[in-house]
Amino acid sequence: MALLEIRNITKIFGGLIALRDVSFDVNSSEIVGLIGPNGAGKSTLFNIISGFHHPDKGRILYKDVQINGLEIDRIARMGIGRIFQEPTLFMQETVFENVISGLHRHYQEAAWKALLHTPGANREENNKRDKALGILEFMELSSLKDELAANLPHGWQRVLAIAIALASEPDLLLLDEPVTGMNPSETASMIEKIRQIRERGVTVLIVEHDMRAVMSLCDRIIVLNLGVKLVEGTPDKIKNDERVIEAYLGKQVL
Amino acid sequence: MKLLNSSTVSRNSRLKLGAIIVALAVLIILPLCIESDYIKHLLIMVCIGTILGMTFSMLYSAGLITLGAAAFYAVGAYTSTMLVTSLGLSFWAALPLTIIISAVLSLGFGAIFVRNAGVAFVIITLIFVQVIVIAAGQIEFLGGWGGIMNIPRPDSLGPVEFVSKRDCYYLILAILLLIVVIYNAIYSSRIGRAWRAIKLSPNLAGTLGINAYRYRLLAFVIGSTTAALAGCFYAHYFQNITPGAFAGWLSIYVQLYAVLGGLEFYILGPAIGSVIMTFVPEYLRVVKEIEPIITGLLLLIIILFFPGGILGTIKNPPDFNLTQLKSRLNRMRISKAQGDKS
Repeated sequence: MALLEIRNITKIFGGLIALRDVSFDVNSSEIVGLIGPNGAGKSTLFNIISGFHHPDKGRILYKDVQINGLEIDRIARMGIGRIFQEPTLFMQETVFENVISGLHRHYQEAAWKALLHTPGANREENNKRDKALGILEFMELSSLKDELAANLPHGWQRVLAIAIALASEPDLLLLDEPVTGMNPSETASMIEKIRQIRERGVTVLIVEHDMRAVMSLCDRIIVLNLGVKLVEGTPDKIKNDERVIEAYLGKQVL
Repeated sequence: MKLLNSSTVSRNSRLKLGAIIVALAVLIILPLCIESDYIKHLLIMVCIGTILGMTFSMLYSAGLITLGAAAFYAVGAYTSTMLVTSLGLSFWAALPLTIIISAVLSLGFGAIFVRNAGVAFVIITLIFVQVIVIAAGQIEFLGGWGGIMNIPRPDSLGPVEFVSKRDCYYLILAILLLIVVIYNAIYSSRIGRAWRAIKLSPNLAGTLGINAYRYRLLAFVIGSTTAALAGCFYAHYFQNITPGAFAGWLSIYVQLYAVLGGLEFYILGPAIGSVIMTFVPEYLRVVKEIEPIITGLLLLIIILFFPGGILGTIKNPPDFNLTQLKSRLNRMRISKAQGDKS
């Protein structure tokens, strides 16, 4: 069943056509890769799905509801989480506080009850803390939980960004270059983590330049070039597709 | 890796509790030890300044910088005054009404203002406070530029008559402490966390489902209503109000309280800033003509070299050495030269 349907999306910046008539589906519990050379429109598409940009033409359906045109936070509350390409964290807060902030949309008790510290609100606060600790453990960040986000090394900042997104319990997670700039062992463990995230029932749409990571991780890959969908298929199909090799991978790679 | 273990945490919280009790005791005993009515008056002004500074900090905590902290201070003062002098209500009836009216008004204005965070909001609040001042001056019904005289003091509560400075001090201290308790609860709740999230990264906050507009509006309404409460007390304490009392400089001073004490300390920062900014200029009055120059210079030095404010500097002392200072001055010179060129 299609969780996310991209329908004929066109986006024009000034005179530049960033995306032209792009359509594809992302099914539940899939890991789908979105690849293409720089300027192919991958990040623009991510920004359109998460509500930072609005498409000039076309529609985006999520769980059969049109989401393009909705506010960023509204889309997030519908269950779409994302991480950004550049490290985007609450830098001046600790790792633990970052994850707690991620839980924001799941508070049920009224705010005034939290102010008065009613038993129900306290119980909820404790539940959230436990949940945050659980996520930290899952992402292997427990030992860093009191460290300021700004002080983490680059690779760990990526991991934290995903931990925050996971805390918001998305059904669909958009990952913008999760392993770019990581060393091979960090990449391997991140790939393993993304697989485990999928096993938790989260659908993943991923933009990544690291071909080896994409090929080993994704069930299906969509190739964009100059704002147009070039081809779509399994990693094996993509690897051997003439057009992809020409447009993107280059002869020296294969 | 700094990992606090449980014993240091409990020692810290016990220390904190002790400090709070001592501070409370000092605040309560203080007016009994002081003869001078003038000093008591300054203490009252410190309390009002702290409240206003805290409202600035609340908006700052949500990523909004206001230059109009005095706007709803004026609204509160005028609303309460009109309720008491025109409708003949008692102070204690006017107080909650003032809070409700200010909350509704700030919701209406805030709904428009906070659509633009950033520079637009700064300018709008700056203009808004001037509009309020001019409106109060032009409207005959509100006393015009001459203001309103002979506003009654708060009606007596049982045996307590708010005639002496001491009793007025206790009233504003009670209001201040109530606000501190409420603000503290808000900051430690998910509302405070959402504000921080919006301030630190609006984009990330958005992707976590936090509606920046609504949370900023909430900060604006709470901050404005608090300022109105302070204004209500001010009018009945001073017993006269004029539009000029709320003009431009007051909002700047309020902002300085927060910056001087430490911007990241939303409650203690404004308190310390307010104490210093109230008492230091008073004692510099000996050299009255140049008092603003000295005050201004002091502030300039603090903002340039201790951007964390007093508390921020104590918490993270800068390791000052001459080379650092030189390079900082150099950078300033360069950026100034570039500014001159363009």
